Amino acid sequence: MEPTAAVRFSRNSFVRNKERLQEIARWVFFSMAILMIVPLVTIIGYLVCHAAPSLNWEFLVEVPKRGMREGGIWPALVGTIYLVFISLAIAAPIGVLAAIYLNEYAKDNWLNRLINLAVINLAGVPSIVHALFGLGAFVYAARLGYSVISASLTLAIMTLPVIIASTREALSSVPMPFREACWNVGATRWQTIKAVVLPNSISGILTGVILQVSRAAGETAPIMFTGAVFYKAVKRGDFFPYQLTDQCMALSMHLYTVTTQVPDVKESISYATAVVLLGVVLMVNASAIGLRIWMRNRKKW
Amino acid sequence: MFLNRQSIWPRSLRFTATLLLCSLALLIDCGKKGGKTEGKERSTIQVKGSDTMVNVAQAWAEEYAGVAADVDVEVSGGGSGVGIAALERGTIDIANASRNIKPEEAELAKKNTGKDPKEFVVGFDAMAVYIHKDNPLEEITIDQLKQIYSEGGGITKWSQLGVKIPDVSNDEIVRVSRQSSSGTYEFFREHVLGNKDFKLGSLDMNGSKEVVELVGSTKTAIGYSGMGYATESVAMLSIKTDAGSFSPTVENTVNKSYPLARSLLMYTLGEPEGAVKRYIDWIVSSAGQKILQENGYVPITTPASVN
Repeated sequence: MEPTAAVRFSRNSFVRNKERLQEIARWVFFSMAILMIVPLVTIIGYLVCHAAPSLNWEFLVEVPKRGMREGGIWPALVGTIYLVFISLAIAAPIGVLAAIYLNEYAKDNWLNRLINLAVINLAGVPSIVHALFGLGAFVYAARLGYSVISASLTLAIMTLPVIIASTREALSSVPMPFREACWNVGATRWQTIKAVVLPNSISGILTGVILQVSRAAGETAPIMFTGAVFYKAVKRGDFFPYQLTDQCMALSMHLYTVTTQVPDVKESISYATAVVLLGVVLMVNASAIGLRIWMRNRKKW
Repeated sequence: MFLNRQSIWPRSLRFTATLLLCSLALLIDCGKKGGKTEGKERSTIQVKGSDTMVNVAQAWAEEYAGVAADVDVEVSGGGSGVGIAALERGTIDIANASRNIKPEEAELAKKNTGKDPKEFVVGFDAMAVYIHKDNPLEEITIDQLKQIYSEGGGITKWSQLGVKIPDVSNDEIVRVSRQSSSGTYEFFREHVLGNKDFKLGSLDMNGSKEVVELVGSTKTAIGYSGMGYATESVAMLSIKTDAGSFSPTVENTVNKSYPLARSLLMYTLGEPEGAVKRYIDWIVSSAGQKILQENGYVPITTPASVN
């Protein structure tokens, strides 16, 4: 045939070898990705299996009885909700506003570099250190005592740097030309932030803030030192059992105490507590994902 | 401008944000209002300390909610040392302790708060020495315990005590102990080790329940904890003294023949008043002592009068 036929594509041994390698690589990567979800599925399956005898509506709204060996986890559930919401109410505004300053206003000088450094380092501080700081600063020095407000402030300080980091990331994902276009029609920085930057980054900001809920809900050390108790008598289904100056129960702490301190607890109770804690966290995460999808669909670019 | 803003900020988002803020305000507001019921001031009693006592303290708090509805009792553990440290700073009302307060701790409390800690005996406990239920050993002397636990002590193998644990090839004694903020740890160190240090390499657990669970699942283990934590998978050793061999029972604790009997204590700052006083009075009353007994401890009144 013509010489062109020789250079036409044909499946010679070199190509086959190449393709085989490609297949192997694909399967190795795929199996690693699958391997990642195995622990999650196993953990959830294992927990739910063991928790099944205790998991029902009554368990959620009933208070612990007979030395926590029976009844439910209502006071702990409400306590966790209190801690998470109050800490977010403190940390979210401060964090978001600080991030807006750092991303939109701050010039690259030594002070702002110092602030950045502080934020990054604060994010890496272990939670037990935050706990000790909260104990010294809020419980002892500020004379707030062991209380919901001390624990919430401690959690707020712990989540603050991560909120700042995630908000900054969301803000910097707004393309620079958007801002420049706005400035060019005579808008001030604040007008630009209000009309262009925030509306385009709000989904990212909210996702970052909501994801902090899961971290705050799961922490044990900071609240154990500053305001979470082993037990407090609360009425069944009472939505407002705690004042700001009271101590409260919390799910993570409750899980710790029923597994390590209370003798003769039915196994299913501690597993059910873990399932509820996990459920709260997963629900919050799912709502963050849902929010992100909904907001992204509204994006006009 | 207005038109513009509305199109950029979704209305539903603003609505959600407003709703969230309102509900939060309501939450905090109601939380404050909830503090008063029918014009009567609610009072909160903060109790912290001993892990040995934390379950009975919890049972008291649970029961007391039905006795005095206007009082909230908040219970936390951490160890006798943690409770006493919090009392020294005046951040709690009652410190539970399974050991006596040390003079320097009392001094510190006086210096910080201007009040002397006041002690209440609310029950008795026999600190039991636990072994696995398959371990044939039945009694032990204080000196043997000291040889097992203290620094420089010679006993490290069960065969040295003349014991062969069935179906186990390993002869090494697994020593289970407590973390150093525990009153039980301090009591053991004082009364068994004669204030010498613990041998390194013991497993220090964070709670009485953990000690008993570990001993229950390890055939070669030995551990110590309050008598209230006994389970079916462990056995309690009798302590042999010159006067005979005494098991950790209610009778032996009451008549003080069991050598490791101790008092369960509550400390307040100064003479307690109001709700705290009423709470302690209720605890030492027969109603409170009955709960103590149900949790496996020895009441301060004779058991006969409680039943």
